[in-house]
Amino acid sequence: MLKILLKKQLYQLNQSFFYDAKKGKARSKASSIGFIAFFVVLMVGVLGTMFTYLSLTLCEPLVSVGLGWLYFALISLVSLMLGIFGSVFNTYSSLYQAKDNDLLLSLPIPVRHLLVSRLLGVYLMGTMYSIIVILPAVIVRLVVAGFSAKALFGSLVLMAAITVIVLVLSCALGLVVAKVSVKIKNKSIVTTVLSLGFLALYYYVYANAYTLLQTVIQNAQTIGEKVKGMAYPLYIFGKVGEGEPLPLAITVLCVGALFVLTYILMERSFLKIATSSAKTARREYREKQTKLKSADSALLSKELSRLLSSPTYMLNGALGTVILFVGGIALLIKGNWVVELFSTELGFGKDFTTVIGTLAVCMLTTMNSLSAASVSLEGKSIWLSQSLPVSAWKVLMAKFNLHMLLTGVPALFCSLCVCIVLRPNLAVCIAIAVLPILFVAFLSAIGLVLNLKMPNLNWTNETSAVKQSFSVLITLFAGWILSFAFAGVYYLLFTSMSALLFLIISSAVVAVLCALCILWIKKRGTEIYKKL
Amino acid sequence: MLEIKNLTKTFGDKTAVDHLSLKIEPGEIYGFIGHNGAGKTTTLKSVAGILQFDEGEIKIGGISVKEDPIACKKMLAYIPDNPDIYEFMTGIKYLNFIADIFGVGAEERQERIKKYADLFELTKDLAEPISSYSHGMKQKLAVISAWLHEPKLIIMDEPFVGLDPKASHILKEMMREFCDKGNAIFFSTHVLEVAQKLCDKVAIIKNGKLIRSGTMEEVRGDDSLEEVFLELEEE
Repeated sequence: MLKILLKKQLYQLNQSFFYDAKKGKARSKASSIGFIAFFVVLMVGVLGTMFTYLSLTLCEPLVSVGLGWLYFALISLVSLMLGIFGSVFNTYSSLYQAKDNDLLLSLPIPVRHLLVSRLLGVYLMGTMYSIIVILPAVIVRLVVAGFSAKALFGSLVLMAAITVIVLVLSCALGLVVAKVSVKIKNKSIVTTVLSLGFLALYYYVYANAYTLLQTVIQNAQTIGEKVKGMAYPLYIFGKVGEGEPLPLAITVLCVGALFVLTYILMERSFLKIATSSAKTARREYREKQTKLKSADSALLSKELSRLLSSPTYMLNGALGTVILFVGGIALLIKGNWVVELFSTELGFGKDFTTVIGTLAVCMLTTMNSLSAASVSLEGKSIWLSQSLPVSAWKVLMAKFNLHMLLTGVPALFCSLCVCIVLRPNLAVCIAIAVLPILFVAFLSAIGLVLNLKMPNLNWTNETSAVKQSFSVLITLFAGWILSFAFAGVYYLLFTSMSALLFLIISSAVVAVLCALCILWIKKRGTEIYKKL
Repeated sequence: MLEIKNLTKTFGDKTAVDHLSLKIEPGEIYGFIGHNGAGKTTTLKSVAGILQFDEGEIKIGGISVKEDPIACKKMLAYIPDNPDIYEFMTGIKYLNFIADIFGVGAEERQERIKKYADLFELTKDLAEPISSYSHGMKQKLAVISAWLHEPKLIIMDEPFVGLDPKASHILKEMMREFCDKGNAIFFSTHVLEVAQKLCDKVAIIKNGKLIRSGTMEEVRGDDSLEEVFLELEEE
């Protein structure tokens, strides 16, 4: 029985490699191999290379001063964090929200077997992320400090211990997420704000990674002493990587005990949580005066509600809104430095700086891809807009307008900041504001065109409509290519042309492209939408 | 109220509806029955202006669905077999959205929302997101939204699925009352007892073709509707 469940869990975990949810059929052998190869390249090639570089930077300086344990302690921390980050959301959904929980619980299967099979999925997911950090670190250590059976054994135990700790912490955090998620209102907004916080933290760490590494290397002895004094378990953990027998035995015992304890707790609480229907206090409806809206306004509100209901859509489709505001403010703060860099360091004239500044705003607007996913997001509810007494044109224009509203306004703000920093004359100021707005209109229109040509209405998870969508990807590239093309053309051919004239010509080109897209939507797009 | 002439709809090389014709007069509850995949939903979706058909004509209140779909849609309401409504809205937001689209005034909408939501015991839940609703609650909301703008014709695909006995009873009474005012209802169902008791007229469809239609008496004679249906299915 357990074997069957484990097999099912493994299949579910790797289903996307063999099954195309969009087309609703199995992938061909070639497609599966290609998909797996892409995943391996992404995980090993990109993440693996990144962490190999990190290990190479830390290993030699630390091992050479006898702080090999600190090297393992630091790498283990990174590995634990990535492992937990990669599996905590999966833990919550796969343990407590699995769609087949009810079905499996109704079958003559011991709950224990069900829990073990679910935990295997969580374990493998966490292991995948943590191993991508710790494995390169172990290899680098063995290469840099020389191979020994003791070090190899220690490293293997350390890797196993990390994967088990990731499982334990993921389960604990998954439990917290399960408890908290049923208590909070406006989950999507909270999730989005938290995700933006994580993103900001990530960029901060990324931007300061070099300084952090240098600090660790230069102050290795002091940091080592502090860790030993304040976080002794971390010291013990680092020693395991070096194959020290006593720390090894202590770690194995502690991790083993932690795992057994977690398993007992999970076994006791699993059934209760998985079948719990705990809900937040219901908001009781109270009649109040309604504000009437026109059909256009109602459709726009509907698009906005759709956006605000989904953290995935907000984070992937409207991140540019935040970035444009942040970019504008950053420009106001660091404006003089930027102007100095362009004029003194790079030797660019004011016209070139003006063109680049405006195109930079255009580039930032490409981070919003609201319209490019909006048709797909109708999903199974598309019958509703098709059955209402509103034309397909109006429905599509609501999608277009939401993109315009949420990208155009911040783009205008960002353009204003460019104007404040560069202080050009009024005509150039207008040109700086007009090009990004036309650019946003073009991106909104091309996004709609592409999504009408490549819709995905059969998604089971909206991520596939928002993130794994060709229309979103192509719209993003279209924006980048156009921005770079304008910058390249100006740099190579028209540096003698005034910024004003170039911006007017560029605006005219974008306006024509935008008009062509809108014309296509009006004539062909509406017909396609009716038939979806 | 509704006139379907030679309606034909194909999907690839499969003919889902094959030269189907029928007429529904004001005041009639018209039942549409047939086996799974017979072409009921395709016909209903074509009438609602969701599906574009290959041949034939559909007129609602004398207006062609092909020529003026918006005018036709203003006169009708459609309830699908599966209430896939906007789950990201709350119940009240959804009803207001529908009312805005149909241009229902503030007072009328408030009065109707109260009347029907109270009737279906859904008033308290209107502030909750639709994603938290059960299938039956979503179905009740779909029914309320259909009645909200006082259409002339209501198209319903399996409207009783998911409703509890009390809500089913209320819906049946609402349907009768609606048609007694001179409006019409065209609905599909697999529950033949309901069709027999509720419908003024009935049509039986098999493999996309209309095989029998007329008043309940004409269709079933001395037999039950179930017997007639099973007999026709075996032919």
